[in-house]
Amino acid sequence: MNQHLTIEEVHGIADGESQPDAHVRDCVRCSNAILDAVQMKRLVRDAMREEPAPASLRRRIRREPQRMTWLAAAAAVAAIIIGATMLLQRSQSPNAIAELADMHTTILASANPVDVLSTDKHTVKPWFEGRVPFAVPVPDLASTPFHLIGGRVVYWHGNQVAYLLVGKGAHRISVFVSPQHLGGAPPPAVSTLDWQVGALDFVAVGDVPEQDLAQLRDAFNR
Amino acid sequence: MGVEVLRMSEPQPASFEELALPLLDSLYRYARWLTRDRSEAEDLVQEAYLKGLRGFRSFIAGSNMRAWMFRILRNTFLTSRTGLRAVPPISLDEQPEIAESIADPVTPESNFLRNANAETLRRAIENLPPEFREVLLLCDVEGMRYKEIAEALSIPIGTVTSRLLRARQKVRKAFEEP
Repeated sequence: MNQHLTIEEVHGIADGESQPDAHVRDCVRCSNAILDAVQMKRLVRDAMREEPAPASLRRRIRREPQRMTWLAAAAAVAAIIIGATMLLQRSQSPNAIAELADMHTTILASANPVDVLSTDKHTVKPWFEGRVPFAVPVPDLASTPFHLIGGRVVYWHGNQVAYLLVGKGAHRISVFVSPQHLGGAPPPAVSTLDWQVGALDFVAVGDVPEQDLAQLRDAFNR
Repeated sequence: MGVEVLRMSEPQPASFEELALPLLDSLYRYARWLTRDRSEAEDLVQEAYLKGLRGFRSFIAGSNMRAWMFRILRNTFLTSRTGLRAVPPISLDEQPEIAESIADPVTPESNFLRNANAETLRRAIENLPPEFREVLLLCDVEGMRYKEIAEALSIPIGTVTSRLLRARQKVRKAFEEP
C-alpha cells in the first residue's frame, strides 16, 4: 500500500488506536507526521497538567459512606430546616406525628442518619433481626422512583421503632415502623402518611407531595 | 501425598472504593477544567463519588469504571447551575474543515512544535469550545481510548474522532499566525 495516511489515521496511530502499516515504515513523510502527532500529544499533556486532588478531598471521600450520604442529604435537610423552627414549637404537643416529624428532621441533620447503610433490602432486613422485637418489612424499591438508603433503630416513648430512610431524588423520607400505634394528626410543614399492615403501624414523613408517600406505601404493601 | 485446596468462598467483587478511589486525581483534574474553580471542583468530585456509590449496583461489573465515573461527574456538572451557564449549545460546524487526505500539513518543522510552549498551548486549549476541549483532555491528558471517551461523553466514536481532529486543527491554527 503506497497511499499516504490521512490525518485521522496519523492521529489514530499516535493515540494508540491502530498500528502503523508497511507503508509507514518506508515513508518518511508519514512517519514524521506520526512523530509530530505524538509530540503534540505530549506537549498537550504537559501543558494541561494539574495539581493532584487535595488530601482533604481524598479524606472526605474515603470517610465512611454514611457521611457521604449525609452530605447529599444536606441539600434536602436545608429545605427542611426552614420549617424546623415551626416544627420544634410543636414538639411539646402530644401529637405523635409531630414528634415523628421532629425525629425525621433531627435524624437527617445528624452526621450518621442510618446505622446500616445499604440500598439492598437483603442487607437491611436481617440487620434489624435481634434489634427490634418484630420482623421489619423492607420493600423492594427497584421498580419505583424511590431508593432505600438504610435504617436504624430509634426510641419513641421508650419503645424500639424501626427506622428506614428512603430517598426520592434529593428528597428524604423517613419511615417509622412499630407494633405500637404511631398515628395522629399531621403537622402542616411536611407530608406524613400513616398506615397499618397486620400488627404493625407505619408512619412515613418527608418533604414530598402526599401522593409520593402513598406510592411508597403501596411499595411496602405489594 | 496430594494436597487438595478447597476454595471456600467466591472471590469478592471489587468494592466501589477499590474501583473508584484510584480515579480521584483524574476526576479532580477534569472537574477543575469543567468548573475552573478549586472548591467547586472539590464539591463536584465529592457529589460524583456519592452518586457513584449510590448507583454502584447499576454499574455492570467488568465494564469501564473510569468512563462510568467521568460520565457521572460530567452529568452532575451539566445539571449544576455553573454547568448550565458554562456550556453553550454544541457548535454546528462539527465537520473537519479540511478535506486533505495526506499528512501534508504535519511536518517536524511545523509551526506548532516550533512556537508552542506550555503557557501559550494552555491558552489555546482553554480557548477551544468546550466540546472540543473535553475530547482533547480525555484523550491526551487522561490517556483514554476513543471508545472510553465515547462512553464517558455519551457520543458515538465517530463524533469523538471528528471532534478530536477538529480540536487539534484549531490548536495548531493558533500557532500558525506569524
